Amino acid sequence: MTGPDAYSLRLYVAGQTPKSIAAIGNLKQICEQHLPGRYEIEIVDLMKDPALAMRHQIVAIPTLIRQLPEPLKRIIGDLSNTEKVLVGLDIHPK
Amino acid sequence: MSQADPKSPQFKDAEETVAAIHQGDVDAVVVMRALEGPQVILLHGAEEPYRVLVERMSDGALTTGPDGVILYVNNGLCELIGYPSNRLVGRNFASLFEGDPPELVPEVTVEASLSRNGDIAMPVAVWSRPLSIADTRATLVRLTDLSIHRRAEQIAAAERFARSVLEQATEAIVVLSPDGHITHASWRAEQLAERPPVGCRFSEAFQLETQGSEDAGRLAGFSVESLDTMLATKPFHGVEVKLSGDRNSTFLLSAGPLVDENKVNVGSIVTLTDITERKRAEEQQTTLVAELNHRVKNILAVVQSVAAQTVRSSDSLETFSDTFAGRLKALAIAHDILTQTRWIGIGLNELLARVLAPYRSAEGTRVSISGPAILLPAHAVLPFSMVLHELTTNAAKYGALSTPRGKIEITWQLNDSINRSVELVWQEREGRRFKGGATMGFGTKLIDYVISHDLDGSTKVYFDPAGVRWEITFPVSVLAGVRSAPDSTTA
Repeated sequence: MTGPDAYSLRLYVAGQTPKSIAAIGNLKQICEQHLPGRYEIEIVDLMKDPALAMRHQIVAIPTLIRQLPEPLKRIIGDLSNTEKVLVGLDIHPK
Repeated sequence: MSQADPKSPQFKDAEETVAAIHQGDVDAVVVMRALEGPQVILLHGAEEPYRVLVERMSDGALTTGPDGVILYVNNGLCELIGYPSNRLVGRNFASLFEGDPPELVPEVTVEASLSRNGDIAMPVAVWSRPLSIADTRATLVRLTDLSIHRRAEQIAAAERFARSVLEQATEAIVVLSPDGHITHASWRAEQLAERPPVGCRFSEAFQLETQGSEDAGRLAGFSVESLDTMLATKPFHGVEVKLSGDRNSTFLLSAGPLVDENKVNVGSIVTLTDITERKRAEEQQTTLVAELNHRVKNILAVVQSVAAQTVRSSDSLETFSDTFAGRLKALAIAHDILTQTRWIGIGLNELLARVLAPYRSAEGTRVSISGPAILLPAHAVLPFSMVLHELTTNAAKYGALSTPRGKIEITWQLNDSINRSVELVWQEREGRRFKGGATMGFGTKLIDYVISHDLDGSTKVYFDPAGVRWEITFPVSVLAGVRSAPDSTTA
């Protein structure tokens, strides 16, 4: 997925903790609704490889990182507050 | 020590992180440990044992959201499918399967074909249960690899099949491990073995005795242990043996290699084929061939003798031809009888009926046969047939059968007091009248010669003008009323 308006997102989770599960579901729903066809999500399970937390200095889980478009942004939590997510990712609601 | 800038992004992130933890927006944190490096700490520790179980179990496990999107996969599922978790989370559950995805019914196990590495179908059992995680409706799914179970079932079925074949085999068959121990035995092998064979060395269960010098030589070079090893490792065919516990039977010992699917020798199949009946048949055949040779020589000697005697008594080639043909025919009839009765013999009245059949009259008064049932033994059939031929030929030429009203009465009795002899009277009546001073022709001499030399008996002949009378006595070694023919008949 490339292009000037493409979103590259990485969600750090910890196995299937309730908030990790919720975060994945909420993120998919928000992206489908507001970024259809121009987003890419990578789920990183830190239970399987905690060292991956180093790259983005993850402390709390779940944490969403917006890698593209720059600048890098992060949102902590289960992403259930859609408005907060849209603001945090600089997505303008349709 | 420098102060963090409250306006810097790092400070803002740290502030938000603390706030999120404080507000309960997170349920796990990453802490940096000196030795282990980053470690994930779950804030709800009670779930830890279950998390470890799910992560470590060999079955595949996943969680889907309400729309079928995969939210979580364990290591077991990654190994089953052949992809890392980041290629599975976010995909639709249905895309994991070849063909139609399984219909998820809570707490019910269904079977489906999982797509391994994107192209190989793998049979799996799929179990599911709906669950609410936080406020999200989710479904827990467990996938169990059935290919191992299927393979185990196939192996078990093949084992049952092979065992069934082995148990039902009528031959004695044992399977040997490479070290010469019996691992399987057919029902017949268990019967022949001196002890329950499975687990024993072959030589412990079956003590062999070789047959014949050649076979003895082939086995003599082996000690008991090396025989076991040889049978377990080398192809081995066709040695006749007896078992020390069953000396009446003969077996053919054979061994063939047993190889696994990788062509590796994993033992052998040893067969003890019971060839007792075959051996008996072979011996019987050898005896029969020798007997046949003997009889052919005998009959050629008889033919030679008959020919020589017929030549001496014939005054022309025509006479010789007719007489010799008649005598050969009598020999042939006698041989037919012997063949049909398998050289056991024939009832006397049955022999008479067959030889005299051409002279029987429609009204049944021309030839009468009367006497007790007697089995004429095989050795007497040929000479006595020749005698009957000469008697009937004489009667046809000169006696009762040479006139329309002539009759022959044949009677006999058994005399147990003199070597169990048969005393037979051939009485002709109303034939051509003999003139006084009739003399013995060659046929008459032949009758006397055969009865005395071949049948160890005696004859008396009376040339009565009313009809010739023969009194013939000879011993019969086998006397029995076993034939179903009636005691007397009138032809």
